[in-house]
Amino acid sequence: MILLQSHSKYLLQLLTNRLQNLDKGVELDCQWIEFDDVRFNVQTSMKNPLILLLSVSLPTPPPGAMFVGGLPSGSIEAIKAAYGTVVKMLDPPKDGYNLTLRLNFSKLSPDEETRQALLMKVASVREVVLGAPLRVILKHLASRSLAPDMDQLVALVHRPNEAFFLIPQTEKVTVIYPMRFKDSTDTCLATSFLQEFVEARRSASAGLNNAPSCLWSPSPPEELAGVPAEALSANAGFVSFVIFPRHVDSKKIDRTVWLLSTFHAYVSYHVKCSEGFMHTRMRRRVESLIEALDRAKSDPEKTKKVGTKTSFKRLSLKDSRSNSNSKASASWR
Amino acid sequence: MDASSYRPAVVIDNGTGYTKMGFSGNVEPCFIVPTTVAVNDSFVNQPRTSNKSSNWLTQYNAGVMADLDFFIGDEALARSKSSSTYSLNYPIKNGQVENWDAMERFWQHCIFNYLRCDPEDHHFLLTESPLTPPESREYTGEIMFETFNVPGLYIAVQPVLALAAGYTTSKCEMTGVVVDVGDGGTHVVPVAEGYVIGSSIKSIPISGKDVTLFVQQLMRERGENVPPEDSFEVARQVKEMYCYTSSDIVKEYNKHDKEPSKYIKQWRGIKPKTGAPYSCDIGYERFLGPEVFFNPEIYNSDYTTPLPAVIDKCIQSAPIDTRRALYKNIVLSGGSTMFKDFHRRLQRDIKKIVDARVLASEARLTGGMKSQPVEVNVVSHPIQRYAVWFGGSVLASTPEFFGACHTKAEYEEYGASICRTNPVFKGMY
Repeated sequence: MILLQSHSKYLLQLLTNRLQNLDKGVELDCQWIEFDDVRFNVQTSMKNPLILLLSVSLPTPPPGAMFVGGLPSGSIEAIKAAYGTVVKMLDPPKDGYNLTLRLNFSKLSPDEETRQALLMKVASVREVVLGAPLRVILKHLASRSLAPDMDQLVALVHRPNEAFFLIPQTEKVTVIYPMRFKDSTDTCLATSFLQEFVEARRSASAGLNNAPSCLWSPSPPEELAGVPAEALSANAGFVSFVIFPRHVDSKKIDRTVWLLSTFHAYVSYHVKCSEGFMHTRMRRRVESLIEALDRAKSDPEKTKKVGTKTSFKRLSLKDSRSNSNSKASASWR
Repeated sequence: MDASSYRPAVVIDNGTGYTKMGFSGNVEPCFIVPTTVAVNDSFVNQPRTSNKSSNWLTQYNAGVMADLDFFIGDEALARSKSSSTYSLNYPIKNGQVENWDAMERFWQHCIFNYLRCDPEDHHFLLTESPLTPPESREYTGEIMFETFNVPGLYIAVQPVLALAAGYTTSKCEMTGVVVDVGDGGTHVVPVAEGYVIGSSIKSIPISGKDVTLFVQQLMRERGENVPPEDSFEVARQVKEMYCYTSSDIVKEYNKHDKEPSKYIKQWRGIKPKTGAPYSCDIGYERFLGPEVFFNPEIYNSDYTTPLPAVIDKCIQSAPIDTRRALYKNIVLSGGSTMFKDFHRRLQRDIKKIVDARVLASEARLTGGMKSQPVEVNVVSHPIQRYAVWFGGSVLASTPEFFGACHTKAEYEEYGASICRTNPVFKGMY
């Protein structure tokens, strides 16, 4: 797996499962959390097997992000456009969540393919909701216009209390990510990963000429001049992409929105993978060294090795006896 | 740390056959997948090149980063069937992790692809079999803390969790015998006050797979019309859907012979090669399958001690002051204990053995002393199939869990050796 998929595997599994057993009601109430602190809750009841309640809570937005009534701006329209009549938004949402959707299975179209497509769409609800403002901006880019009442610089939430920045223009959109990592090893790995990432884009042989151009810098780029300093404290530098209209034509826009809004998760996944890869190499190295040591050993030592393989320190019979004797004698005195 | 303790913990129960994973506080695991990894062979046999950048380019030109090219679970099974570039790898054998590389990859996919959570945000509860050496716990800790940066880790013992699964329904009992019948092996594990009595653990070489094999054998010998390449799969489904435990084989044979229409079921299927439909009868194997546990001699001649006798022997070898409590709380866990009336039969048979022993000892002691009757109780609950996972989910949702975890800070201070011991914490009582 190189890219994260946009649908939640578990949610899709739940939905398909419900759809196959519509006649049987199930009492269900489960919650789970995905990366970047997106929480899900699914509830169904015995009484009404055709109804499923799906609640989503989003990461806490940092000050300055575009949030309207607890949701990213434009997401209500996006939900309506994506799901149509099958899904109804409940107001107010379930306690502790930002959004509650009421899914009515009886309104699903009878056609198997459109059903599957819709369930898939419901399973990728976080893309629809969190990506809504980004999608609006990119749609405008596709038609080479500027969205009205947009600032010069837009901050969008992607992680709890963290935002990334967009500079929309008629011909291009610049996307800038401040990259933060908690762990110092992660920070180092991420920094070199990002430098390599930029390098890979630049090397012409890889056939990435059509990919958005990409830059990494350790200090905030000048476009972010007006942003408060605490939003710019990034320990793994800044990555910026330049998106052109050709990246957001009608076929590609969904994918572009998803990839942009989960870029941080993508990098952090790859950092973890490279750590795992390094461990594999280290383990193999240790094994080969142990082998070399074993070869160097003389025969009597080899036979001894078998006995000491157990995890416990073994006392010989004599040792333990003298131990217990000394203890016993100590207590007698 | 504070931020992660209000999020539910991730509970992953890695079994030999299946891995159950999910979030604490839920009733069911999110995913139950076979514990298997399909690795791209070209990655393993990659030639070592000294030049770093050319290596990167060759990898890139191959189209994939080969070290990311692997699958787990059902996907792995499907991939290895359809193409020869992937080879299957079972990281856990007999409850012990054998291949740490594969295990690390397995966890990687569990966390990022299936649960899709950020491991830095959640505490983790993993499980291990009671016979795991402490070194393997250290390895686990190393992988979890170094690779995934988890904020806290707790490694629980499977039978203890199975006991904890039962305690929510009645009272908080942490003393009992766990009878774990999985696909790969059967263990009888006594637990006293949350601690496993290691010296009394008994294992039996009969497991769920043997029941399937026996059903398959019976059907083959009767000459049922099942295509040979499908017969194991059919036998497995027959076992899961129709098998039950009888109280007496002879009576059961009579019942079947008197009213065949009521007891003999039909199985319908489609031949995988030709696509032609077929049907076959399911008769005596319905009750003979589970009988393997009670009369092993009908299945093989090597091992002939029935399960109730093994449980009795196990309790008798435990410390004398725990025995009554152990007889009182015999807990079933694992998919192969799901046969109808399995617990009744087990309880009756153990009771028989115990009563006989009490009578014999009373006869020996002619002083007319009466001993208090021993209470035998086999507990069964509806979530037996993933009782271990459920127990983990219950424990990880108690506030004490977060205090009992080993934290990342402790790991950095003391090293992997802290994972060797995992304290029994208050939430377990």
